[in-house]
Amino acid sequence: MIVNHLKELYDYRNLIWQLAWSEFKLRYKNSILGYFWSLLEPMLMLLVLYVIFTNLMRVQVKYYQLFLLLGIILWNFLSRATTIGMFSVVGKPGMVKKIYFPRDIFVISSCITALLMTIFESLIFIMFMVYFRIPVSTNLVYVPLILLCLFIISLGLSLALCALNVFYRDVQFIWQVLLQIGFYATPILYTIDVFPKNLQRFILLNPIARILNSARDTIIYSSPAKTEDLLFMVLSSIVFLLVGYIIFIRFEPRFAEEI
Amino acid sequence: MTAIEVEHLYKTFRIPHEKRTTIFETLTGAFKPPTYETFHALKDINFTVEEGEALGIIGENGSGKSTLLKIIANILYPSSGKVTALKRITPFLELGVGFQFDLTAVENIKIYGTIMGMQKREINDKLDDIIEFAGLEKFRDTKIKNFSSGMQVRLAFSTAIQTNPEILLMDEVLAVGDMEFQQKCLDILSQYRKDGVTIVFVSHDLGSVRRFCDKTLLLNKGEQIVLGDTGDVIDRYVYGGGDEAPTAGSQNELDAVEPDVKPEDKNPRWGDKTVEITGVEFYDKFGNKGSRFNSFDPMIIKIFYNAHKKVSDPVFGIALYSETGENLFGTNTELKKASIEYLEGKGHVDLMIERIPMITGRFLLTVAVHTHDQKPYDWHDKQYSFDVMPTGRDVGLFEVPCSWKI
Repeated sequence: MIVNHLKELYDYRNLIWQLAWSEFKLRYKNSILGYFWSLLEPMLMLLVLYVIFTNLMRVQVKYYQLFLLLGIILWNFLSRATTIGMFSVVGKPGMVKKIYFPRDIFVISSCITALLMTIFESLIFIMFMVYFRIPVSTNLVYVPLILLCLFIISLGLSLALCALNVFYRDVQFIWQVLLQIGFYATPILYTIDVFPKNLQRFILLNPIARILNSARDTIIYSSPAKTEDLLFMVLSSIVFLLVGYIIFIRFEPRFAEEI
Repeated sequence: MTAIEVEHLYKTFRIPHEKRTTIFETLTGAFKPPTYETFHALKDINFTVEEGEALGIIGENGSGKSTLLKIIANILYPSSGKVTALKRITPFLELGVGFQFDLTAVENIKIYGTIMGMQKREINDKLDDIIEFAGLEKFRDTKIKNFSSGMQVRLAFSTAIQTNPEILLMDEVLAVGDMEFQQKCLDILSQYRKDGVTIVFVSHDLGSVRRFCDKTLLLNKGEQIVLGDTGDVIDRYVYGGGDEAPTAGSQNELDAVEPDVKPEDKNPRWGDKTVEITGVEFYDKFGNKGSRFNSFDPMIIKIFYNAHKKVSDPVFGIALYSETGENLFGTNTELKKASIEYLEGKGHVDLMIERIPMITGRFLLTVAVHTHDQKPYDWHDKQYSFDVMPTGRDVGLFEVPCSWKI
């Protein structure tokens, strides 16, 4: 069944790409200026947070600008993928009611849209890397795996949120609040060393915290990712994807009737 | 080879009395079980469509036609039963599904073409044709939100017809657009027929169904009434099938006949009622009473009377009006040289119409009985009506018998 579905998705690869790409273009208003405006958002966020945390909170982290920027970019990916994904079915009643293709295509292409946006924002990050003369190390081989895990976790969350949002329209508000809490509960602005040991273990139950740690270790600090982190994020991404699909499949048959 | 197989298909919609759309409502209402109204949209539908065959689906509004089409298209799920499609299905349920109004014509062709199942290369090859066919060469890179709705429909249509469907599902797409556009749609449909595409066609336009479909399925309130040869099924639809319609009273039992088409309003009725018209009935070619007829079919109008005393030389007449009130035709027994020596008691006179020349619409009928010198006994002005359903594609109010010589 899974193999058949993957084959079906492969047959629809053009559609997935077209939907993702057109959404991406729409988000940036299809204009050159639009792309530059979109870079301003993370830059401004970086500036504000950097000023506050270095001057007021006196955070002592090496390459804090990069540390912060990477955290913001990766968190933004999760936040965007889940938000766009959550509305991907509710926002396209015409397509849901008038034509058939596997419904998870809506969610998958939303996550790809978010990925395209993230890749675009990463250009700034790469410029910062060059500016700070961060060495290119062999530890970068871990990066694709780390990003894949982030993508799959986001996809799993989006699938569940998307299906639930069709039936319970307050899911969107609840999720926005949860994202806000998550932003501060995840070590984006700070390192987890600031917490006592037993609290650290609690924070590390959040797979996104592991992903951020590993991404920073390998990209910024040229050190290998911790095996424990890698294992935890791979396992949790499988769990997220499975649970997401189970929820999605349960609600999917009634999408066309409920929208 | 069978292309589509539908077995014991049921579809039930649950319509909640109070819809809960939020988690909050679901939690607060947890102790009050939700109450539902169940609506049986489809009940035990069975049919197969062979490869290359065209199936028409007809029925009144709300009879489940579109629901059935959506289930075949995999958009809705059946409540029970099975639908098997052995070929790729291309649904034309609406034109321009997935159009993004902030993107350009070319970009939308790419998206819409992909949605309709075309490959990337195919789209790129046909891009120029599509734009030319839609007549939008100057607007390739214009955002379609700046298009008129006609331009949008043309763009969608010329993209949609570039697909190579194996099974085509078509819902009332033909109902939108002007005559020229409808003509284009029908041409494409003929082309697909010739190419051997399997077609399922839902329409109210009985003329098109008659022209394109090998067999037809008639639905009524979700039930499969009849499936068979298109001509027979359309007759059954138009004339109500005969088994539920009351049969005409036999000539000998006239006293027992209580005509059910009675004058509706007293005002447009005048005369001294020495001879009273007690009812008017319409009979179709199967001898069944009804008020709906195929154009070009025969019809009998029976006028029931009751002469309270013996009158000599009465004249029965009718006049036919369009729905807007124009007088289309009038005749009477005198003009047709069917003189009546005298009348007494109850009886009926019949007007035999060999062929209804009207094409489509509702028609009003005046029925009267009067003396030889126009003094009315009973005059029912436009008190009766019947509907004519189109069978061909000629347009207008009535057919002029003619042919072309070239």
